Amino acid sequence: MKALALARATFGRWEALLVLLIVAAGAWSTTLSPYFLDTGNLLDLLTPYIAVGLLALGLTFVVIAGEIDISVASTLAVSAVVLARVWDAGANVWVASAAGLAVGTGLGLFNGVLVGLLNLPSLAVTLGTLAAFRGLAFVILGGEPVTGLPEGWSQLGAGYTGPGELVPIALLILLGFALLLGVLLHATRFGRYLYAIGSNREAARFSGLPVSRMRVALFALSGSMAGIAAVVLIGYYGSARADVGNEFLLDVVTAVVLGGVNIFGGSGSIAGVVLAMILIATLRNGMGLANISADTQGIVIGALLLGAIVAGNLSQFARTRWGGRARATGGRGEVPRSEEVAVSSKT
Amino acid sequence: MSARGTQAQALAATAFRLREFGILVALLATGLFFTLRATNFLTGDNLQDIGTNVAIVIVVAVGQTMVILTRNIDLSVGSIVGLTAVITAQTLAHHHGLSLWVAALLAVAVGTACGLANGLLVAVARVPAIIATLATLSIYRGLVFQRAHGVTINQSDLPNGFLDLATRKVLGTPFLLFVAVVVVVLGSAFLHWTSSGRDFYAIGSNPAAARFAGIAVTRRVILALTLSGALAGLGGFMWAARFGTLNAVSASGFEFDVITAAVIGGVNVFGGSGTVLGAVIGALLVGTIANGFTLLRISEFWKITFQGFAIVVAVTIDALVTQRLQEALRRRRRREVAEARAEARESPA
Repeated sequence: MKALALARATFGRWEALLVLLIVAAGAWSTTLSPYFLDTGNLLDLLTPYIAVGLLALGLTFVVIAGEIDISVASTLAVSAVVLARVWDAGANVWVASAAGLAVGTGLGLFNGVLVGLLNLPSLAVTLGTLAAFRGLAFVILGGEPVTGLPEGWSQLGAGYTGPGELVPIALLILLGFALLLGVLLHATRFGRYLYAIGSNREAARFSGLPVSRMRVALFALSGSMAGIAAVVLIGYYGSARADVGNEFLLDVVTAVVLGGVNIFGGSGSIAGVVLAMILIATLRNGMGLANISADTQGIVIGALLLGAIVAGNLSQFARTRWGGRARATGGRGEVPRSEEVAVSSKT
Repeated sequence: MSARGTQAQALAATAFRLREFGILVALLATGLFFTLRATNFLTGDNLQDIGTNVAIVIVVAVGQTMVILTRNIDLSVGSIVGLTAVITAQTLAHHHGLSLWVAALLAVAVGTACGLANGLLVAVARVPAIIATLATLSIYRGLVFQRAHGVTINQSDLPNGFLDLATRKVLGTPFLLFVAVVVVVLGSAFLHWTSSGRDFYAIGSNPAAARFAGIAVTRRVILALTLSGALAGLGGFMWAARFGTLNAVSASGFEFDVITAAVIGGVNVFGGSGTVLGAVIGALLVGTIANGFTLLRISEFWKITFQGFAIVVAVTIDALVTQRLQEALRRRRRREVAEARAEARESPA
């Protein structure tokens, strides 16, 4: 009995499974290229996906609260083009960065007001703003890229530091934000309220939590992370274009869901999301080594996203069916019926 | 009891008829605006151009309407249209003599399979529709890339009989628009007069209640998403005939045209209300604006910006109307209960 409990405690943990998958993906990559295990290569693994990671960190908060924000990549694009435009007009690049960040936060706030104050379904609102913001980015910048941003500033996305210049600065930025947001989510009242809202919004409201204000704040946070991601991404590419980050959405949502954040709200951890990012980066890197085209990679990531939710649902099903009493907390949460999902975004 | 229920229904019906009327007025106003601003807007050729373009949006939007009615969404339709368009074009390019009926059937069959997969994911595997169809959007698009292999199929590769479909006329209307009208009539009839169609409304209004009422919710949701896939397959066939030039990115982003059409046409994203006819008016509005923008040389990018904000505005209006309506019904119920109580007090049995 003790062994069973131990097994459940270890293998029941989503994070342990992710580590296992990362090791497997890494082993596969090693067979494809002997250079994979190179320290420099390992440290560089996440570099192309830093912006995806920053967006995923912001989205994690939104999903834990039982909402969704599919406009994040479009928000990033608007932040990026505003940054580029302001800099192009002659402003200091740091001032331009602040402007981009402010615009990202503002667009997040726009989503937040519609969802949190007007009680509109976040799915429909951010589907609309996904299109609207993407169009706005083109309207602001047009088809031409902005290049030649100051090199010192670009280091944020493209520079290296540490012994032997091996550690990407962007990786440190991502880990810094993961730590900061991890503390905010797991060690503050704000974080605890978030889980309460995601588990049962009405109960949270009746308990006196500032539900509306918090929901507005969540989307503003998600928008801010898009603004920060824009800075890192422009630095990484060395240029800004209106279609920047258009293909990010699938990876961002997959990182959050694969990271064990319950898509129906109420549970999830920053550690899980970071592990999922590493897994996605390792897989994409391996597929790149194996000459698998980006579009076929999309099939694999899409399947991974579906697999993550189906696996979570199955384990929940098995637990309630055969596992005796269902664990009240710490699991992947109650699985509502598909039609009830949309209800949860309605008051 | 039943009288009160009917009254409530009538109130709701009026509200949503007003909604459709509002969008019709917007369509006429937009048409008038473009007529005044662009001299070549109100010409026979241009109107037919709009009609042919809108026909594809309409066909796919009929399926999307059914999905949204059940309180779900299908983001993968653009990829399904792209996939079936490329498959249709490749098949016809290799077999010039193939019957167009067979090609159309093939497109619909592939679309149906894609839709069925969506339906199983949503209704059986319990993946939220937005996530499931976001994933299949990428998966089906990946399949398009694999099929297309970076090669563009040109009009010159395709049999003339196929390309003629886009220019041919039946009873004075473009053939593709004629197809759309048939789909609209069948779709409306299905939603109004079959029990499966009525179930879509019941499921969207209150999924739990629908289940308790004995409606086979799982099967109906699968049906809605499968129909959406099938119609997207038909849309892909039409797309191939209309444009003739096809590659791996054909119809990407088309889902926004379709969803915008349905949502601004009054198909409520909360589920349970909306009509095929509303989606048709929505599609006409989207198509008219896209056409007008082109004539006035306004950037393509304004179109998607406009569509996005149109979705947000439509959703806001629907939500406010729904909230007001519920408030009014609640107040009425309270008043009626009070009256009944007063009556009971006056005449003790």
